[in-house]
Amino acid sequence: MKNLSLQIRLIIFFVIIAGFTWGAAAIVSLKEYREEIDEFFDTYQLMLGRQLASADWRHITPQTQLTADKIIDDIEDADMEDEAIAFAIFEQNGKMVFNDNEEGKKFSFRPGQELGTFQKVKVKDEDWRILWLPSVDGRYVIAVGQELEYREDMALEVIEELLTPWLLGLGVLLLATIFMVSWELRPLKRIASEISSRSSEDLSPLQAKNLPSEITPLMEALNRLLERIAQMLKKERSFISDSAHELRSPLTALKIQLEVAQLSKDGSSERMEALQKLEQGIDRSIHLVEQLLSLSRLEQSEIMQQENLSELDWKQIIASVADGYKEKISEKSLKLETEEKETPFSYGNPVLCSLLLRNLLDNAVKYSPEKGEIRIIMEQGSLEVINTSAEIKPEVLNRIKERFYRPAGQKESGSGLGLAIAEKIASLHGCQLVLKSIAEGFSAKVIKTTDAEA
Amino acid sequence: MRILLIEDDSLIGDGLKIGLEKLGFTVDWFDDGLDGKEALMQAPYDAVVLDLGLPGEDGLDILQDWRRQGHKEPVLVLTARGDVDQRIVGLNSGADDYLGKPFALKEVQARLNALIRRNHGNINPLITYKDITFNPQTREITKDGKTVVMSPREIALLELFLLNKNKVLSKEVIENKIYSWSDEVQSNAVEVHVHHLRKKLGKDIIKTINKIGYILGEA
Repeated sequence: MKNLSLQIRLIIFFVIIAGFTWGAAAIVSLKEYREEIDEFFDTYQLMLGRQLASADWRHITPQTQLTADKIIDDIEDADMEDEAIAFAIFEQNGKMVFNDNEEGKKFSFRPGQELGTFQKVKVKDEDWRILWLPSVDGRYVIAVGQELEYREDMALEVIEELLTPWLLGLGVLLLATIFMVSWELRPLKRIASEISSRSSEDLSPLQAKNLPSEITPLMEALNRLLERIAQMLKKERSFISDSAHELRSPLTALKIQLEVAQLSKDGSSERMEALQKLEQGIDRSIHLVEQLLSLSRLEQSEIMQQENLSELDWKQIIASVADGYKEKISEKSLKLETEEKETPFSYGNPVLCSLLLRNLLDNAVKYSPEKGEIRIIMEQGSLEVINTSAEIKPEVLNRIKERFYRPAGQKESGSGLGLAIAEKIASLHGCQLVLKSIAEGFSAKVIKTTDAEA
Repeated sequence: MRILLIEDDSLIGDGLKIGLEKLGFTVDWFDDGLDGKEALMQAPYDAVVLDLGLPGEDGLDILQDWRRQGHKEPVLVLTARGDVDQRIVGLNSGADDYLGKPFALKEVQARLNALIRRNHGNINPLITYKDITFNPQTREITKDGKTVVMSPREIALLELFLLNKNKVLSKEVIENKIYSWSDEVQSNAVEVHVHHLRKKLGKDIIKTINKIGYILGEA
């Protein structure tokens, strides 16, 4: 049933419903017709019985029977409905005096038979409904009967006659339904063929006119999906091209430094210097590739799935991230302070939160002047990293979170991705990354904006 | 040949400076657009290597300013963006050539040599004077078909004379061409190098014009 076409489903449904309702209607009708027919024939039997009962049967002779039979026989088509009603006249002692020359001949009367009632009687193995009546003078017994099967057949015939046009109508309705459904589903087929004939590059919205209102939402949803895919693809492509572009500079540096090393004499200090710079360049490229990878991983949806989330131990996160910068901090004689007031937010992806803090701390360490100060402040709903810094121009602040953006005059090497990564992680945790120039410093603050985790 | 290099990337800038110096150029390197732009006014450069994505001031703006002020130095633009539009804009802004990253040091050298050669009206990549031939790319000097071994500074000095045949070059001009800001210059350095050139290529190759300077060829 699962994969049947809508047409077949409709037909099956239609046939079942029609069959059920019409069947029920037929049964109800049959019962009513039977009652009607019973009533009709009972009345007829009564009328005939009354006429027979009021007749004078004293002068009936076997010759009368023969004459009457002949009269009836002479009527054309007289036996058409001959089995409809049969009758016989008996004397009180059971002797048959007269009959209809048909089924009535088979009736038999036994003295003691209750009179004035209809009774179901077996006549030659067939069920009959017979009305027993005394004649007006009381000397005779009148039996007017009818074979029950005849009534039954008649009722069935009526039902059959009623049902035949219904069945024809059902056929016509079915055909009409099939036609209607396939007609109405044409837009769906059009959309399907449009989609299947599309190249994977073509993500323009689907065009279909005169859609039934039931299908319009589906198409709108499809178009929205296409739009989202197109946006995602565009983002991916620009990310790939930006990444490739960003790799050009470090690769150029590697190439140039390698050539310098090749030009320098074996074992010369120049060669050693060039090799050292080559190593720096390789580290820089590795850092860039790692940052690119982290950023692209952040785009994957499973990163915030339940199994990757847990309670966050911020003290531990801060301690382990800060530990990685011990050397650089002491090299630049920086002062690192941590203010642990409250936990910023309690639930999230601990690996990502470490990465977030590492990126913020990395910037702080890189861009603090010698003997500068770095403060990490944990508060209810926020995590802030403040470092000593010259004032950053508003136009730089506005762009600093953009991927690959590096402000002018940068002596420090960097990927230009750190803040983009931090912002993405913050938003995955329902937070905002707010960057501000403050008195003699720079503040990067992650602020919880929505209650929902992730 | 003295080259002005403006490049903000420390590893590329450092590599280009050291590498180009090894290849016989005299290089002043600035990693900031504003300083680099000013530097062009301070010394007689033979060519400029200009990175477009610069801090301080954008490379294209610097180039347009120079051209507006009438500076004719050939400019080789380095660009990380390989797209055609940017190259066209660069060339239309006054650049003479461009190189897309990543590029090789040797290519920078070749393009600079071509630019400088053209700027001096030479078509032939080899510079010759009488029986002396100089190949700027390989830095090889031959006299009578035989290779003459010289120090890089001597080669730079000879190259300067060969490109300015029949022109008197003052000691100051020579110093400015073959030493960068970062080089320490001995007061008699030029005299010493000229002496060595005469020793290796013949006494008469360079004449001394009293109180004015030196000349290769006829005044």
